[in-house]
Amino acid sequence: MAITRLDAAINLARSNSLWPLMFGTKCCAIEMLMATGAAHHDLARFGAEVARASVRQADLMVIAGAIVKKMAPRMRLLYEQMAEPRYVIATGSCAISGGPFMYNSYTVVRGADEVVPVDVYVPGCPPRPEAFFWGLLTLQRMIREGETIREPGVRRKPVMAALPEDVSLHEIRAEIRAALANENVIDVTQAANQKPWARKVREWIQRASLR
Amino acid sequence: MTVHVRTLDELLHAPLEADSELTTQEYLVNMGPQHPIAHGSLRVVVRLDGETVKEVIPVPGYVHRGVEKMCEHLNYRQVIPYTDRLDYLSAIMNNWAVAKTVETAAGIETSDRIEVIRTIMAELQRLQSHALWWGVTGMDLGAYTAFLYGFREREIIGEIFEETIGARLTMNYIQPGGLMYDIKPDFAAKVKKLLPYLQDCVEQYETLLSGNVIFQERLRNVGIVDGARAVALGCTGPVVRASGVPLDLRATEPYGAYGKVQFNVVVGSIGDCWDRYYVRLEEMRESIRIIQQLIDGIPEGPYSTIRYNVELTLPEGIHYGQVETARGAFGVLIASDGKQEIPYRLHFRSPNFNNLWVVTAISPGWRIADFISIQSSLDLVIPDIDR
Repeated sequence: MAITRLDAAINLARSNSLWPLMFGTKCCAIEMLMATGAAHHDLARFGAEVARASVRQADLMVIAGAIVKKMAPRMRLLYEQMAEPRYVIATGSCAISGGPFMYNSYTVVRGADEVVPVDVYVPGCPPRPEAFFWGLLTLQRMIREGETIREPGVRRKPVMAALPEDVSLHEIRAEIRAALANENVIDVTQAANQKPWARKVREWIQRASLR
Repeated sequence: MTVHVRTLDELLHAPLEADSELTTQEYLVNMGPQHPIAHGSLRVVVRLDGETVKEVIPVPGYVHRGVEKMCEHLNYRQVIPYTDRLDYLSAIMNNWAVAKTVETAAGIETSDRIEVIRTIMAELQRLQSHALWWGVTGMDLGAYTAFLYGFREREIIGEIFEETIGARLTMNYIQPGGLMYDIKPDFAAKVKKLLPYLQDCVEQYETLLSGNVIFQERLRNVGIVDGARAVALGCTGPVVRASGVPLDLRATEPYGAYGKVQFNVVVGSIGDCWDRYYVRLEEMRESIRIIQQLIDGIPEGPYSTIRYNVELTLPEGIHYGQVETARGAFGVLIASDGKQEIPYRLHFRSPNFNNLWVVTAISPGWRIADFISIQSSLDLVIPDIDR
């Protein structure tokens, strides 16, 4: 008979049944949501194949592609409609920093983390499905060692799930373990409200409800 | 022939009145930007009377990154990676459009070897794109198995791209004056081995999905676009060919190695969703034929005729070039002032933007489920619409 904390049991269950939202804006969506969902790469191995079209049923938002100013309030709205606890993975350069559209573009939001708090960043343009899996595994690990039911929303700080060159898998595991062992925590709800777009979206929702 | 399109503002302020005999009510329904049928982030406002579609107004712009404006700060070789990110399923063909325009304007000669490799790569990409489309259409219409099979072929063709180019999606392969990398020594052997397999796959597609009664019922005689209307809307690619208009830039103004090979321009008969479906399947067979004719005789030689660090300045004037991508004619219009090595103005004529308005023109009168079939049969890639 194993005795464990309730938190550990809940987090284990949460980490192994992530339901991603069917939400892609650009090229990354083909790789992150469709190619991984198909048979060759098979997202089902990680218990995250139940892609939902409705935000209310999903708890993982994979931001796949550039977020432009017209889309930002909508994405924020999607994030707020998701049930807690909710997790965000930003895949690809566009979602991390604006990527190729960093300079001279008049519409692209420079990084999706200006709009919603991001848990894991997966670099690449687009990342390979394997890189996305690594990001998903990192997120699962963060969830397992993450928040407690006493303090919901307080969890680890974001992690960059980059696969470095010429490094063995053991070294990567040790590095991630060390990164996760730090006591860096973040209050997601608070962080979300501090985002520059949060106020704009609140106004936007108010205007819409008045109409 | 003109097609009148109301703006979103006009639609929102119009009175909602149902005219059906049943006691129905009119609704305005937003489909998107986050919607499974959106294939990305296209917002479509649909005016519904019960379940019947009365009016469809697409609202593009949710992925508008201002690529054309950005390109005014980039030289011609730097423009190429951005074309990957427009219609990412036919990235190589988009690269080719820019390369072709620049080569024609600057008078750069290419060799036979370069053109043959370009053609083979473009046809492989067309196969990949159509395989993906076939799978996604199946999924949209409720056949999830099709999705798994479509992506199986995508991965297998993708392995060849990975070996040669190093990328899975954003290729950045065809450059003005040549190619980014040379092909590997065993490239021809691998592609040759793949072709019979792909032929079997197309047959398998037919067995899996084409004969399905439900699938046929949802596509046959749904969303008919006649040839005149398709041309009036500016449609290109399989959409216009399905309406019986033999418009294929590969045949009408041959570029690359298309002039040297035998292939049929596949046309449909009435222009319904089934024709659009079947034209693409037949095109996969034609693509295999084209590769079969070219793969044996790839000439020897260098893979680029110019050095890549050479400054490319186009002569003053407006230069236009277009190629046939998997979705239609992709054109590049470059206005050059003749002094700088960057374009003065640049415009992409993307096939999806014109194909999109088919949903506005033909959806009224059909049910929501038919609207899904129509939009799925157009094979839209949203970043190409928004640019």
